[in-house]
Amino acid sequence: MKYLKTLLAAGAMSLASLPAFAQQDITWWDFLSGGDGVRMKALIERFNEEHPDIKINATTLEWGVPYYTKVRTSVAVGQGPDVMTYHLSRMPLGLEENVLDVISDDDLATAGLSKDDFFPAAIAAASDAEGNLHAVPFDIHSIVLYINKSYFKGSRFLDDEGNLTGIESLADFEEALALAKENGSETPVSYATADDGSTYRVFFTLLKQQGGELITDGEVLAGDNLDKAANAIEIMTNWHKQGWQPEQAEYPASVALFTSGKSAFHMNGVWEVPTLVDMSSKGTLGFDWGAVQIPTLLGTTATWADSHAFAIPTGKEMSPEKRAAVMTAIGWMEKNSISWASAGHIPAYKPVATSDEFGQMEPNATYSSLADTAVYDPRSPIAGVASPVYDATINIISPAMHGYLEPAQAAQQVKDELQSKIQ
Amino acid sequence: MAMITNRRREVAVAMTLIAPFVLTFVLVFLYPTIRMIELSFTDAPLIGTGEWVGLANFKRLLTDNLFYTSLKNNGYFVLLTVVPTTALALAIAMMITRLKGPLQALILALFFLPYILPVSVVTQIWTWMLDFQFGVLQPVFAFFTGKPVPVFKNPYWVMPTVATVTIWWTNGFNVLLFIAGLRNISSDYYEAAALDGATRWQLFTKVTWPLLWPVTALVLTLQLILQLKIFDQIYLLSSGGPFNSSYVLLLMVYREAFQLNHGGYASAIALVLFVLIVVVSVLQFQLLRAGGNKQ
Repeated sequence: MKYLKTLLAAGAMSLASLPAFAQQDITWWDFLSGGDGVRMKALIERFNEEHPDIKINATTLEWGVPYYTKVRTSVAVGQGPDVMTYHLSRMPLGLEENVLDVISDDDLATAGLSKDDFFPAAIAAASDAEGNLHAVPFDIHSIVLYINKSYFKGSRFLDDEGNLTGIESLADFEEALALAKENGSETPVSYATADDGSTYRVFFTLLKQQGGELITDGEVLAGDNLDKAANAIEIMTNWHKQGWQPEQAEYPASVALFTSGKSAFHMNGVWEVPTLVDMSSKGTLGFDWGAVQIPTLLGTTATWADSHAFAIPTGKEMSPEKRAAVMTAIGWMEKNSISWASAGHIPAYKPVATSDEFGQMEPNATYSSLADTAVYDPRSPIAGVASPVYDATINIISPAMHGYLEPAQAAQQVKDELQSKIQ
Repeated sequence: MAMITNRRREVAVAMTLIAPFVLTFVLVFLYPTIRMIELSFTDAPLIGTGEWVGLANFKRLLTDNLFYTSLKNNGYFVLLTVVPTTALALAIAMMITRLKGPLQALILALFFLPYILPVSVVTQIWTWMLDFQFGVLQPVFAFFTGKPVPVFKNPYWVMPTVATVTIWWTNGFNVLLFIAGLRNISSDYYEAAALDGATRWQLFTKVTWPLLWPVTALVLTLQLILQLKIFDQIYLLSSGGPFNSSYVLLLMVYREAFQLNHGGYASAIALVLFVLIVVVSVLQFQLLRAGGNKQ
């Protein structure tokens, strides 16, 4: 009897509470795997727990061309997600394809955000020519220089506190590489020399450090930029010839070379920070490590960077309630982006990026200054993640630096190939 | 009168029987093909409609260096695969037919096994075996050339290696066709020839080869069509590099359509490839038939 009563009461209660529980289901797509994926899944779980009226159903798709192809085709037929992650370097092509809805100031207000909460460079990268916002920046991620300090003990490259110092030019850096080689480092600077993204990021950083431009007014490597590109390839070729960088290293191998202690330096994205933090705290790393902004090797301080952002696809007939739920989710993610920062990223949301908590987060705080001099990919439909620029890197720059083509010819070939892609 | 009614009925029955095929054919082949031809004269993006631009896409194609590079690579790949795989399949088939019973079935199954694998598995296997740092085949390369070879990153090695992988993968089917062809040749011919004192070589050149010619011509034509359509292995193993030395026409179609959003231009390239395959394969089949008749 008592049981029956409870059952009846429960039934009545669930009936009564139905209108209040008009739960909004949000379809969410992202391309985040590895350490990024783990952290994003944790964030989504927390969001769902804190918001009984909103439920994010997340799907992780494959990074790169597969992801963006699926986004475009599904959005075109109105079957896109309610919210998706998007690279800001991919914005020009996204705008050309017309897959990104405008995010109005009212939308931002719903999320409890405003444009002033973000770094201006990120907002500019997320906007179209008329200044309409098409995505909400989430982070800034760039490449950094990881260091294995054990190779530099007692040398001029470590200061009293054990921090990297004294690298102010290419000559300094190469001196450090030679020293590390002498001290037994197999490949003093490891990066994924057989991988498009990794090689491109190093190349683009070296190009920008000479004040060079990849694309200006629809022209690829115009004027003396061609020589600067050739010089960048020349530098990378020399690292290969000297045996300083690994030969034909795929991405996982390049990371393993560093974590196993064979490389004194490692140039890679901030997203590998969690790998090293975890190994270091478990005591499996076996050396003292650090991560700093890429030193100024060629006169100008610059580092390749990109941003993850949230975007709403066009052509979705979304109820105002659902849109509000989507914006609530985006706003919540921004305000909790300190968890995301633990994946190495720099939050794009200034209140978190300038918070004390982030200021004390290491090694992020050491390299977060790079946000001021970070350079995004050129704004062009042929640049950005999974673009012809990435293809040209694996097709031309990577084999050239392995000795299959002269740097000057390689730069010319990059120019010709990319120019032909601009219609 | 009754005659005519019956004929009509027969036509009706025949129509009903072929209707499912015709409908499917029109829906999934004819209609998309017509749409593709239409698209190739527009500047349409991947999805949606575009403006009519006449022959602009084709004019652009004629000035696109990558098109000529791709065309050349397609040709090179055909040279590397079509005749070698046919010759190899014939040799294997002749050896297998000499075997008897379960052993024959076993060996045939072994040769056929790679063919049932999906392309991604095939390329994964070979990527591992040929891995620059850890590949089990690298010591072999090191023995002959003095150092390991990054086969998919070397402009001279890439196409022959992709061709080798392709032959390994698809050869089993050709072997099967040849075995069927060989079994069709009556043993009477061989007995008669042997009685007249024909040597092994004569048996092959005067009996086997001419009688097998229709199958050989078929295999050559099927291979030509298949290898002109090369895409998956290139996409998965070398992405067209290095220096475009493995860039092929279908990769160009894929990149233009799915990466650069140029539906119209991609259709134009696809149309050219389609016409090329039709012309070349019809030409080849006719030539081979003529060659066969002479014998």
